[in-house]
Amino acid sequence: MSTHIHSLILIFQILLTFIFPSISAIDQSPINIWPKPRSFTWTTPHAILISPSFTITSPPHNYLSLAVNRYLRQIQTAQYKPLLIPAINLTNSPPLQTLTITIYDINAPLSHGVNESYTLTIPSNTTSATLMAATTWAAMRGLASFSQLVWGNPARVAAGLIISDWPMFEHRGVLLDTSRNYFGVETLLRLIGAMSANKLNVFHWHITDAQSFPLVLKSEPELARKGSYGPDMQYSAEDVKRVVEFGLEHGVRIIPEIDMPGHTGSWAEAYPEIVACANMFWWPAGAPWEDRLAAEPGTGHLNPVIPKTYEVVKNIIQETTTLFPDSFYHGGADEVVPGCWKADPTIQNYLAGNKTLSQILEIFITTTNPFITSLNRTAVYWEDVILDAEIKVNASVLPAETTIMQTWNGGPTNIKRLVSAGYRTIVSSSDFYYLDCGHGDFTGNNSAYDQPFDFEQKKGGSWCNPFKTWQLIYNYDITDGLTKDEAKLVLGGEVALWSEQSDPGVLDSRIWPRASAMAEALWSGNRDETGMKRYADATDRLNEWVNRMVSLGVQAEPIQPLWCVRNPGMCNTYNPIF
Amino acid sequence: MIFHILFISLLTLLISTVGSPMNIWPTPRSLTWTSPHAILLSTSFTINSPSHRYLTPAVNRYLRQILTTHYTPLLPPTLNLTVTPPLQTLTISVDDVTAPLSPSVNESYTLTVTSHSATMTSATVWGAMRGLETFSQLIWGDPTRIASGLVVTDWPVFEHRGVMLDTGRNYYPVEDLIRLIGSMSANKLNVFHWHLTDSQSFPLVLESEPGLAGNGSYGSGMEYSREDVERVVEFGLEHGVRIVPEIDMPGHTGSWAEAYPDIVTCANMFWWPAGAAWEDRLASEPGTGHLNPLIPKTYDVVKNVVKETTTLFPDSFYHAGADETVPSCWKADPTIQAYLANNGTLSQVLEIFINNTNPYIVSLNRTTVYWEDVILDAGIKVNPLTLPPETTIMQTWNAGPDNTKRLVSAGYRTIVSSSDFYYLDCGHGDFTGNNSAYDQPPGFDQKKGGSWCGPFKTWQLIYNYDITYGLNETEAKLVLGGEVALWSEQADPTVLDSRMWPRASAMAESLWSGNRDETGKKRSADATDRLSEWIHRMVSRGVKAEPIQPLWCIKNPGMCNTANPIF
Repeated sequence: MSTHIHSLILIFQILLTFIFPSISAIDQSPINIWPKPRSFTWTTPHAILISPSFTITSPPHNYLSLAVNRYLRQIQTAQYKPLLIPAINLTNSPPLQTLTITIYDINAPLSHGVNESYTLTIPSNTTSATLMAATTWAAMRGLASFSQLVWGNPARVAAGLIISDWPMFEHRGVLLDTSRNYFGVETLLRLIGAMSANKLNVFHWHITDAQSFPLVLKSEPELARKGSYGPDMQYSAEDVKRVVEFGLEHGVRIIPEIDMPGHTGSWAEAYPEIVACANMFWWPAGAPWEDRLAAEPGTGHLNPVIPKTYEVVKNIIQETTTLFPDSFYHGGADEVVPGCWKADPTIQNYLAGNKTLSQILEIFITTTNPFITSLNRTAVYWEDVILDAEIKVNASVLPAETTIMQTWNGGPTNIKRLVSAGYRTIVSSSDFYYLDCGHGDFTGNNSAYDQPFDFEQKKGGSWCNPFKTWQLIYNYDITDGLTKDEAKLVLGGEVALWSEQSDPGVLDSRIWPRASAMAEALWSGNRDETGMKRYADATDRLNEWVNRMVSLGVQAEPIQPLWCVRNPGMCNTYNPIF
Repeated sequence: MIFHILFISLLTLLISTVGSPMNIWPTPRSLTWTSPHAILLSTSFTINSPSHRYLTPAVNRYLRQILTTHYTPLLPPTLNLTVTPPLQTLTISVDDVTAPLSPSVNESYTLTVTSHSATMTSATVWGAMRGLETFSQLIWGDPTRIASGLVVTDWPVFEHRGVMLDTGRNYYPVEDLIRLIGSMSANKLNVFHWHLTDSQSFPLVLESEPGLAGNGSYGSGMEYSREDVERVVEFGLEHGVRIVPEIDMPGHTGSWAEAYPDIVTCANMFWWPAGAAWEDRLASEPGTGHLNPLIPKTYDVVKNVVKETTTLFPDSFYHAGADETVPSCWKADPTIQAYLANNGTLSQVLEIFINNTNPYIVSLNRTTVYWEDVILDAGIKVNPLTLPPETTIMQTWNAGPDNTKRLVSAGYRTIVSSSDFYYLDCGHGDFTGNNSAYDQPPGFDQKKGGSWCGPFKTWQLIYNYDITYGLNETEAKLVLGGEVALWSEQADPTVLDSRMWPRASAMAESLWSGNRDETGKKRSADATDRLSEWIHRMVSRGVKAEPIQPLWCIKNPGMCNTANPIF
């Protein structure tokens, strides 16, 4: 049914493209919607006033109604002041009285692959605008677009236009690590709200790690009690519920990750017996990198060869899936390092019987993965689980039907390896999508920074240097070099903020506008109609979007001097700079 | 001073501050603490000090902070609270209460906290402000307690410890400048170098030249009025922070053309024509325009600007800019073309400008600070003879220790802002639009990520920089100190705090008490733990400093160190 409707909408969109082939007006559009819509038809740009009694009518729905009220309030009160006043005539037409929302499938839940397409029509000669959306979640996308067409005091809206819009990639996410440093719930909500404004739809919550275990679980209360940073740095069941509900009100799925079997040092505070190499120094002096006990300070891997481990793990998985309704469950499995498991006597015994570390990982995965699947979840793993150079499982252990891989190494090369093995893949290539890169290293006593003066600063201590600029993120083609069939397996991407050097004080500026860059690239692409990369045009539009985000209370980082915005084109370069 | 030196040699050998449960940032030159313990601070605690226009507000500010903050350290100090009557007063005595806030003013102080009294003696009121900050960092908890049984004797290694902020590329409201200056004072930084204007905007409102801001600012809500400047200057005095203004010229003056198109060459031209060589750029970045030194009108305006700026800013330093004068901008102008056709050179054109402005600045009782370009630029520069070292200070930003050496060996007092170490904007890519550098085949070497001075300058790099490296003793004396610099092409009020802190703190300690321990070893490992605590205290005071480590590292001291080199 919904597929049928979707194709109808698509046909409508294709028709539109034929009817108005000459209009690529949006490149010069005085109005900015971020991410840029797929199709924007605006024959005679002008604006009309929004009535002080403007309302939005929509079918009743738990979450949509809240979203409608939120946007209504914003539209009525924001009085947004653009950086450049749009050069649009305000016509004398009667002010816009209503936006009427029609939903084709009001029952579709927020889930992976849900239809997010909508058509927004703001006529110039009636007092009513319409938003036709495939689902309530699509209606939220349309509302985000509508709100960006509004500015000024008294409020006015761009009119005489039709927007038909739907995403290129269904998975458009942000990963935040709340273990290295803690982020209060208010901060998470601000993040999710801003994601929704950018039409991002997945918050990948890397909740726990070796440094702290902030998630309070009834079945395993000691994990957070002993493993969190303290009673005021935990997420209670009520906190999680608030985040999940807030996500639903904003059309953002919340995917939990409880990283294991590596990255579990914090579990040892409650269960020292199930964690190998806990609380050891991470990289002994003089030892080669291969003999490290962890990829960074904070050691500890779950011990897969003792039964107690699985009692705890299953309690966690079970309760986490109860807390988080999304059908994806992230099982972690990154950076399992040999030195940690080798430090444990029970594992040493096991290895002495001609066993390998990869077999130990396989025991862990084959004991936990079916359990995850049995709870009606699709398991997401970091690529390491099958691609790690040393410790990895045989891919046959992880059926492509119920497993999704998330890549972070090797750029397009690893994407290719994963999809050609048949896995649906989420792209978080560190060379492009890691937002923490480029701010140096956090380890203490690091002699790398104390060098003779003529030394080459190279990566400035940041393993994934340089800082990933918005332009780099924007230009990344996540299906580069793939066949059509392979490309279909790329679900989308996630920018990732690992929090060794981030906390609530810097969250906004580290995420925005760089997550916006990915948001547009994954929603409507990074190329114009001629197939050319459109980063130059995007610069001007992104300035305006940064300004609007700041006006909404999100402390996004500026990308240019205001002078550049006021002098369009004058800050461009025609010569490559590098 | 002799007292200090004696004191140090007698006592610091016994006690090392490393491992101290209390953290003062920047760490003092000498902290003697024979039996570490803490005492309560009375709820009616007061500070007695000589009455002084600026010290009194500082005392009141610290008193309020001490009585109300109840700071919770990341790690509770392992100090026994001894049962004595709570501390009732801090008594401050100032040797020279009339010494004005000026370059090389004596900032030394001695702070003694015993189990029954606290006293501070300082050379000047500005020294007292440094001591008050130290005192405030000895305090934590609820009820309020203070580290006791200690003597801090403290004075700076370098007299010039500054932050430069560019308010020409993006605008910062006065509130943000005030927050910055307040946190500078908490870090014992004493110079706010205010790069007021640039090609992009001219936010300074001048009565004698109202058209400059009237036409050249970003708008009426993005200007600095006389009252705004007065507020910043007064706030600086209450915090012991000098405000040094910079009106950059003759380059970086595109914004002047909005009011005076006739005195600005190459204004509003495209900065780097397509296909042109870099040598033929009209400006080093978008926003063209140089003052024209060959027409008299230029000096009418410039003198008004200089004159009124020195009236607004009482400090004895005046920064006159003179960086990045590029050939093509002047070459684009017919009057200058005519001059060049008569065998004149661009360097002569610059010399005309400097000779017409520098004596005027000096006549207003100011020491002129110039960017090093004025004598070191490869293309356009003046003969150093035109700039006497007695009245001229150079600020270096290129080539690290090499240029510092070139400047001091030419006899100039020098302020160090080497971009390889002290430029806080570096490493966040480039701001020009349509830049194909970011659209490359997968697998390409990202190199500096588009940032000309990439990578990002980490706090460790800043901390470890020795600004007198390779200099002999006489040369080293000419190094007045340093300034970290935040150029604002990609910064504005939303990111100011995190871009500035804690990296400016790293320089603050390096220039106050050095970056080495008593054995001469770099102490950045020890500094890591202390800096985390200091960041936490800054955040508790409303400054959004960037974290440098996971909280786990602080709770597990030493476990996040590396014993192997990483790069």
